[in-house]
Amino acid sequence: MRIADKMSFNQVNQNLTKNRSEMADLQNQAATQKRINKPSDDPLASARVLTARTEERGNTQFIKNINNARSFLEFSDQSLSELTEILVRAKELAVSQSNDASGNEESRMVTASEIEQIYNQSIQIGNRKLGERYIFGGQKTQNTPFNQTGEYFGNDSDMKIQTQKDSFVAMNLPGSKVFLGRGLGGDGIVRAQYETPTDVESLKDFQNQEIERQQINEEVDSNFLTTRGPASESGRQSRADRQDPVTGSVGVNLFSTLKNLEISLKTNDKSGVQEALDTLDQAISQVVLARSEVGSRIMAVNSTNDSLQKAVVDNKVTASQLEDADAFQVISDINKTDSTLKATLETSGKLIQPSLLDFLR
Amino acid sequence: MSKISAMMDTGKRSLMNSQTALQTVGHNIANKSTEGFSRQRVELQTNTPITEGNLQIGMGARAGVVTRVNNPWLEKQIQREGMSMGFQDSRADALGRVEQIYNEQNNKGLNQYMTDFFNSFRELSNNPESLASRTMVRESSVALTKDFGRVVGQLKAVQEDLDGQIKTTVEEVNQLSKEIASLNEKVQMVEVQGTPANDERDRRDLLLKKLGEKIDISWAEGRDGMVTVTAGRTAILVSGIGSSELKARQTDARDRVEVFFEGSSSTSANITEQITGGRIGGALDVRDKVIEDLLGHVDNMAYTLAKEVNTAHIEGFDKSGRNGVLFFDMPDQVKGAASVIGLNKTVFNDVGRIATGAQPGAAGDNTVANVISALQYRQVMDGGTSTLDDYYSTQVGQIGAVAQRAVKAQESQKNVISQLTNIRESISGVSLDEETTKMIEFQKTYDASARLIKTADEMFDTVLNLKRM
Repeated sequence: MRIADKMSFNQVNQNLTKNRSEMADLQNQAATQKRINKPSDDPLASARVLTARTEERGNTQFIKNINNARSFLEFSDQSLSELTEILVRAKELAVSQSNDASGNEESRMVTASEIEQIYNQSIQIGNRKLGERYIFGGQKTQNTPFNQTGEYFGNDSDMKIQTQKDSFVAMNLPGSKVFLGRGLGGDGIVRAQYETPTDVESLKDFQNQEIERQQINEEVDSNFLTTRGPASESGRQSRADRQDPVTGSVGVNLFSTLKNLEISLKTNDKSGVQEALDTLDQAISQVVLARSEVGSRIMAVNSTNDSLQKAVVDNKVTASQLEDADAFQVISDINKTDSTLKATLETSGKLIQPSLLDFLR
Repeated sequence: MSKISAMMDTGKRSLMNSQTALQTVGHNIANKSTEGFSRQRVELQTNTPITEGNLQIGMGARAGVVTRVNNPWLEKQIQREGMSMGFQDSRADALGRVEQIYNEQNNKGLNQYMTDFFNSFRELSNNPESLASRTMVRESSVALTKDFGRVVGQLKAVQEDLDGQIKTTVEEVNQLSKEIASLNEKVQMVEVQGTPANDERDRRDLLLKKLGEKIDISWAEGRDGMVTVTAGRTAILVSGIGSSELKARQTDARDRVEVFFEGSSSTSANITEQITGGRIGGALDVRDKVIEDLLGHVDNMAYTLAKEVNTAHIEGFDKSGRNGVLFFDMPDQVKGAASVIGLNKTVFNDVGRIATGAQPGAAGDNTVANVISALQYRQVMDGGTSTLDDYYSTQVGQIGAVAQRAVKAQESQKNVISQLTNIRESISGVSLDEETTKMIEFQKTYDASARLIKTADEMFDTVLNLKRM
């Protein structure tokens, strides 16, 4: 083939440009330690990196959610444990005062005041706060849940926290359930639905159900009032300390249980004290039940937390595998390109220099 | 005697031939680096011999024409490939800029702001009572809407830039058309005398190549040696010694620049649709297909997000038990949604208006906040088959793939061009060695011819001195 001068120059130019741009690219990889610096470097991988990053951020947030829920649940658990302790103490006292061998009118008067203390303590526990939030008020976290007579001002809804892409966990127990035994079964009270609405349709359904539920519950409450009538103290009903003849409720109102015990003790009503033993047992098991519910939620979020921690690492690994440059590869490529570049320069010199003119005198 | 003077004559002509040849060598050397130059060659022919009796006596050589060594078919092929090169070049450049808008390898982008937005709602769900988490929602929402604006703004900036490129390129096209028309005239003027217009043809070939890099053209040479150049299907840019202009200007229908053919008779035809090659074609392709498509996607996302968040938010109740308001200012339509999406002023001014609960009067009610944060994993795009995240990362993957293909096409086109140019150079290019050799060759011929004249002179002398001898 006929070789024109321009061909040699073009060729040299092209080869040098090619080597130099290859070098620049590799240098960039070495400097950023990344194989992918823009989507076109590897479109498929860069889309996957994006997904992995999003997932990682989501998971990190879920871990935060879980930590928040866990402190709430742990505080609830601690409070319930204290509540169990004082109820057990109340039962001990009631047992000791339920017969004449260990109790008499005087000792019952003394015990009554200790029961009153226990009553106050349990009200206090019901009004516990974590930060600025009452833990037993349901979603009404800014209202004091119980007044001194044990009336409930919270609601019976759960606060659901997202712990994974598609799962929510309740981080609280409403006081109505723990302290008043509402909705534990058989009392006709309708509990809030367990599922969390995740779209607008189900949100609307949820809202309608809530309204309906509240109406039913109000009705149940009003029926309950007429059939039961007022209890020994005005404004407070003792619910399941005796089984409800209409609804057959099994829940226990802790406050009226304690209050009744106190009154029985004050009035030296031995059979009243004996009756209170049963309801105290029920009350203790009600709190224990609540505690186990809290406990199982803590366990659930803990295990979710573990798998999230692992997923965060996995996602980092995935992203890194996809986008990070292999340092050894880059360095060895740089060395290779460097020697190619030097060879090109050397041969270029040879290719361009000589011409017939150099040999003519 | 006549033979001696014929000898003298042959020598003289040979001297002149050598000079011509050397001049051509000089021309070649001088134009060694001239773009588009084809090396030239003097065609030497033997002179008509004289017949004397039964002898035929050669009468030396005469210079025929100076021709250029050139393969017109190859030139045409280079011109065609150059058209494709221009297209790929401008496309790859523009796409490289477009993909940077979606590059989240080093900077924060729409994907991150979107995740931050949903995460802020999860944080709010953790603690709906807290003003701090409410403020976080506001900040992340503002940042998200701003980033929607950024993406749209940057995409439009690239479009505007392409508009500018199209405008300047159209000016260059007009300039080239004018020059080609004037070269048409020169070619014709020279060739009407029967001599090939080598340099003018080289120059015209080069201008045609340059024109083709800018806009897709077709051209043909008439019998008169003049070329007719058509851009697109209908815009006749050069015809004979006349040229027509293109105009790039905005229309009432769109805020983008379109290309018009301004024919001889004040008519103006929109030929934008016809242009599919050259730099203008590449710019139009990215501007009107790729970017418009992406703008549509971003609008789609912004609209869907606003709609879904709003319908949930309006069902909820705020911190003080009031009914929820619109969270985002609702865009009127999908088109343009990403540039108008913004946080509702009511919410912006009072984060207490963010509705988290499904029922009034429960400060800890986070049901609606959960519904909004769950939107991230709901399949609300593409007719309910993909999430907002999927939708976005698909776009990033796509733009990456398109940009990658464009760069590869550009590279392979570069290779095609450089190979063709190499072939062209091997035919038409100047080699110094070759020219030097020819120079020596013709110099020797010149020397020898001079010697011939001297010999003839001496022969004359001999004849003239016969008497004296």
